[in-house]
Amino acid sequence: MSLRFQRLVLILITLTMILAAILLILNNVRENISYFYTPSEINNSNFAIDKRMRIGGFVEKNSFNKISSSSFRFRITDEKKSIAVTFNGILPDLFREGQGAVIEGFFVNNITFNATSVFAKHDENYMPASIKKDLKNTGYWNKKYK
Amino acid sequence: MSSLIGFLSLVFAIGINFYLLISKYIFKFKNLPFYLFIRLSSLLTLLSFFALMYAYIVSDFSNYNVFQNSHSNKPLIYKIAGTWGNHEGSMLLWMTVLSIYSFFFSFTKNIEDSFKRSTLLIQAFIHIMFGLFVVLTSNPFLVNSIFVEEGLGLNPILQDPGLAVHPPILYAGYVGYSIVFSISIAGLFQNRDDEWLHVAKKWSLISWTFLTGGIALGSYWAYYELGWGGWWFWDPVENVSLMPWIAGLALVHSLMMIRGEQALIRWIVFLSILCFSLSVFGTFLVRSGILTSVHSFAADSSRGIFILLIFFIITGFGFLVFLLKEPKKSYSLKLLLINKASALVINNILMVIATLTILLGTIYPIIIEVLNNKRISVGGPYFNSTVIPIMIPGFLLMSVAPILSWQTNKIKNSKLYVLAFIFLSVAVLIQSFYLTFNTWGFIGILIGSWIILASIIAIFFSYKTKLNIKFFQIINPHVAHIGVGIAIIGITCSSVLKSEFEFNLNEGDKFEIYDTKILFKKIETKNEINFQSLRAKFLFDLGNKEIKEIQAGKNYYPVSKMITSEAGILHQWYRDIYFILGDQKNDQWFVKVLINPFVSFIWLGVLIMIYSGLIAVTRR
Repeated sequence: MSLRFQRLVLILITLTMILAAILLILNNVRENISYFYTPSEINNSNFAIDKRMRIGGFVEKNSFNKISSSSFRFRITDEKKSIAVTFNGILPDLFREGQGAVIEGFFVNNITFNATSVFAKHDENYMPASIKKDLKNTGYWNKKYK
Repeated sequence: MSSLIGFLSLVFAIGINFYLLISKYIFKFKNLPFYLFIRLSSLLTLLSFFALMYAYIVSDFSNYNVFQNSHSNKPLIYKIAGTWGNHEGSMLLWMTVLSIYSFFFSFTKNIEDSFKRSTLLIQAFIHIMFGLFVVLTSNPFLVNSIFVEEGLGLNPILQDPGLAVHPPILYAGYVGYSIVFSISIAGLFQNRDDEWLHVAKKWSLISWTFLTGGIALGSYWAYYELGWGGWWFWDPVENVSLMPWIAGLALVHSLMMIRGEQALIRWIVFLSILCFSLSVFGTFLVRSGILTSVHSFAADSSRGIFILLIFFIITGFGFLVFLLKEPKKSYSLKLLLINKASALVINNILMVIATLTILLGTIYPIIIEVLNNKRISVGGPYFNSTVIPIMIPGFLLMSVAPILSWQTNKIKNSKLYVLAFIFLSVAVLIQSFYLTFNTWGFIGILIGSWIILASIIAIFFSYKTKLNIKFFQIINPHVAHIGVGIAIIGITCSSVLKSEFEFNLNEGDKFEIYDTKILFKKIETKNEINFQSLRAKFLFDLGNKEIKEIQAGKNYYPVSKMITSEAGILHQWYRDIYFILGDQKNDQWFVKVLINPFVSFIWLGVLIMIYSGLIAVTRR
């Protein structure tokens, strides 16, 4: 084999790898992203049963209900609309009524959201930037949060 | 008082560097005690850092930063760690590490003086930019305007010995690429092709080793502290550290090529610029508050814009010089179908593709939000299903690459390798049918064990075994690859073969997982120095009258009114039994148990990689 031919083969291998990588990325980006909404943003255009999504807002006061030591019901609100959530598992340490939380999961029927994971804000003043922007817009913004 | 000293010495350090730059390019002074000034500036930055640390140790709440992030009844180690447990302090640490690198670099021998000066001037330039950033937007020495007796406390999640040392080691990795960057740029300017590559190799190995250690520490911390049972979550901040790590790995590998007569100098320069750009970009993503994670301390847009500016200056400057300056000598690379050079080239391309894939997944949400105001998140599955397939050909190549030859297409002992590979495939196939068959599990275990086996064969058939330092230096690449193989086995097993159990238990209950008998002994609460602890004690009957106890529970920190989970882990060499204590109702406790097989292999593999990184530094 001439040196030139060998180089050609190497270049072809490289191009194939790059192509494969691009295909992989395009294919996976479509499948593996989840959209993020606040409760009042959920409407007919983006609502679908069993569609994976993230919802961010506050845990509504007096809505937390412990059914057993591992299953819970609560509501997530942005002061305009609230959504009933069920969750099985261990809640994060910082999960509390009146505090910010992001839930990931899907709607099991028209009104109930089944959360597969719950994220709570990380410290006293911490708030995800995306929720913060929305809450500022809706006027429900506590100055204490940075 | 210490705050004032700290602030002044930081300003002086920046001033000295500024003076060096203008005196070189504007006034063109000769006879300047150049190295003395560089070292003085480094020591002043260090002094400034120690002044802040001192303020933390004595709990000087007249410093606003200390007041915000510390509390007097904290163990000493967390007072020290509090220095970098916040945005301002961690940026000062960034600068301190930069200065330490400059300081040590100024003592390097066997390198031309003018080259050394250019490198240090570029370092001084970076120091000035970050110095201005610290002084103007994130000053850790601000005075507290009101008199207070007590501070607000350090985030309890950060109060952990593993995390106390995680930031300095990680920064030693990130910032180490600054010196590699400066060396490459200076190399382009000076147009001396050979010597600087050897120097760059040493420093890039040092940074890579530190970065490996830093990432592993963070990951180990996440494993036992966050209580989620995993050690990698494809969190944006983790991705940000992984990108320079992979790019740095590519850099280290292409620097290996310079031992032959061929050199891909431009590629090496490109990678060095890329590594440092990714490090600064990571600093920008984490510190700007664009990403939300444990690591983002505060969202302040002026800071974000400032770091973005620094990022553009550094990246723009680097790549501009790269495009304008042509290296003088350009060897043509001897690429054959399967020789060492082409294997390294393919491996480099794969690593860069992997880096770009991670970069895309990390910034995709930001792009989408800017473009059409929709918020999305790219989760772990994206990264798993793109990055891993991209890396697999590289792993296969890795197992044989060290025994390929530089000059020909021949492989030594090729028959032996083919036989060994077939034998191993059959063995792994049988083994995986015996357990539960899983395609990814099969591929992972096969690749991991193949890398180990091929490296061991290479060690014993290619070199004479001797017990001296030189022997360990020669077999070092193989040893590093054995580490990777072990880590791959650990990663595969712990993610594919893991199992989960859930229990509702009363105190005194007995239960079984597989064949292990476990007793839920009792719940205990205790008051510690700065927190209250609640612990569930579990006793394991491991047979042969061997009984082990582990504790899982929660800590409550009254100062910041926060609860943290403390997972209980029983370490066995082939698996970890991982306990998370959940909620309680009517005296029944919810307990989640994860069986993570072969997790210890991951840490062992990483330790081997760090070891071989250190050995490689000693080799000329």
